[in-house]
Amino acid sequence: MFKLVLRNLSSHPIRSGITAVSVGVALFLVCVLTSIVTTLQSGLAAASSTRLVVMSSISLFVDIPLSYQEKIARVEGIANVVKWQWFGGYYKSQDNFFGQFAVDPERMFEVYPEVKVDEETKRKFLTQRNACIVGWQLAAEFPEWQQTGKIPITGALFPHPSGQAWDFELAGVYRSEAANFDNRTMFFRWDLFEETLKAAGQDPGVGVYVMSVEPGADIESMRAQIEGMFENGPATVRCDTESEFTRQFVSMLGDIPMFLGWIGAGVLVAILLGAVNAMLMAGREQTHDIGILKALGFADTAAFGVLITQSLVLCLSGGAFGIALAAVLEEPISLAIGSAFPGFFIQTSTYVGAAVASLAVGLAAGAIPAWNALRANCVEALRAKGA
Amino acid sequence: MSQAMIRVRNLTKSYQRGGETLTVLDQLNLEMAEGHFYALMGPSGSGKTTLLNLIGGLDSPDSGELFIAGENLAQLEGSELAAWRGANVGFVFQSFNLIPVLTARENVELPLKLTPLSRSQRRAQGETALKLVGLGDRMDHRPRQLSGGQEQRVAIARAVATDPKVILADEPTGDLDRKSAEQVLDLLGRLNREFKKTILMVTHDPHAAERAQSIVHLDKGQLGRIEHNQPVAAG
Repeated sequence: MFKLVLRNLSSHPIRSGITAVSVGVALFLVCVLTSIVTTLQSGLAAASSTRLVVMSSISLFVDIPLSYQEKIARVEGIANVVKWQWFGGYYKSQDNFFGQFAVDPERMFEVYPEVKVDEETKRKFLTQRNACIVGWQLAAEFPEWQQTGKIPITGALFPHPSGQAWDFELAGVYRSEAANFDNRTMFFRWDLFEETLKAAGQDPGVGVYVMSVEPGADIESMRAQIEGMFENGPATVRCDTESEFTRQFVSMLGDIPMFLGWIGAGVLVAILLGAVNAMLMAGREQTHDIGILKALGFADTAAFGVLITQSLVLCLSGGAFGIALAAVLEEPISLAIGSAFPGFFIQTSTYVGAAVASLAVGLAAGAIPAWNALRANCVEALRAKGA
Repeated sequence: MSQAMIRVRNLTKSYQRGGETLTVLDQLNLEMAEGHFYALMGPSGSGKTTLLNLIGGLDSPDSGELFIAGENLAQLEGSELAAWRGANVGFVFQSFNLIPVLTARENVELPLKLTPLSRSQRRAQGETALKLVGLGDRMDHRPRQLSGGQEQRVAIARAVATDPKVILADEPTGDLDRKSAEQVLDLLGRLNREFKKTILMVTHDPHAAERAQSIVHLDKGQLGRIEHNQPVAAG
């Protein structure tokens, strides 16, 4: 009977092909939309609750004084403090958007052990004043960097005093396996940043301080102590765990995850209706064949089986196409939307969900024609016009 | 007369048409012998096809008894009736009723899937049936690649593939030219003579009816006369 199912599908190759590809494209979209949401969630899940972040109590966009670093480092339980400053520059064109941060190079590797570089890269980054490291995804996007070793960045927030671009030397590429630390960012040395600006008469501030804490430290009392230390200024701060900080950062996206969920659901419903329509047409055309099968002695359930299997083959093959497409395009998509959704990846559970969705669409699309076939009166079905 | 293969007692079948009850078979009584070739004739609406469908288990009577090869069809329903039909009855329809997406061989093998035969046995039996009807060289052709006469011969091969006791043919020559019709009638005659199949053939064509051993006339759902004739020999 499976041969009959395949022949029925191949007898209308355009319709079958379009339906399967439609299901595939829809499930590909669902995979991508779901993965944007899961990427945001996995960033939250991976964020450490034993790292603390200090930022201005007014806004993330307001700097805090450089002098706070030493005071924070003296708080009992703090293992290390690294300062970050958002540089906000661009490479060649403003279209080439990615994050650049000035950081303390040594402390960064201590506070973020999940950031992996080879020894040579680390050595260069720690010793060469204008050295920088970039994430592997960013390096893949601009392969010329590894050929020339030069990365000129025009400072939009912090223009170079010479009026030219800031010239960075590529020390190497880092790779982070943690979902909350994306691989599409550039880091350069704080001392270069600070000294260059000070030479031009500017006094650089700090965007955030990130601290690692010692094992067993009382996080809550440390938070309270740090916030209390700067209660009277010159800039008040708030201190959160990294996970809370990330959660607040993600919440700035508002209802985007819910909105993406609704789009995904809409895509699925639309494709379900398309598949139902295709299967209803197939069911009508095959009524006569169903009558023949019943006349030959096949049970009603066999007639049901032919139509439901047809629908399942159609939707599962479409689903397989969509899943394969998503797997093949995962990396290019990650590169394309990495600036907005760093660390984009498609989880295995998303693929499994897509397979289950294609199974569900197949069952739902085939249910009505299969039920009609089950209930069809043999004599009346034989009178129906064939395909 | 040999033992009755088909026994009909007070068989009644009616349909609802536009709010009215249309009685198609009215208290019909009939017996048909095993291994006999019957032609069923009568004007349109006399109940020929309805009787054929009831005997074949495609439809259910309103009342009465219907015994085929000793089985009371009134006691069978659903999958039991379907299984009985597959094992005991072969159908030949006016419009052939082959599945268009399957080849001649696959059409003939289709009812064999309901038997315990292995794949190779089904293949062998299907080939034998197609060779029997003279289509050994057309096995891999699809219905649309065959002439009407050839399609009907494939349908006959399919009808005999499971070696049923009864072959029911509904106007099997109705859509065929004279030459093809003769070939089909020859085949049915041969199945009756050589393989002792009980054949019941609905026809409007007196020439086709002459091939049968007996002609049963139906009129307004009731049994008319029964003629016994000396069948015309195969051409």
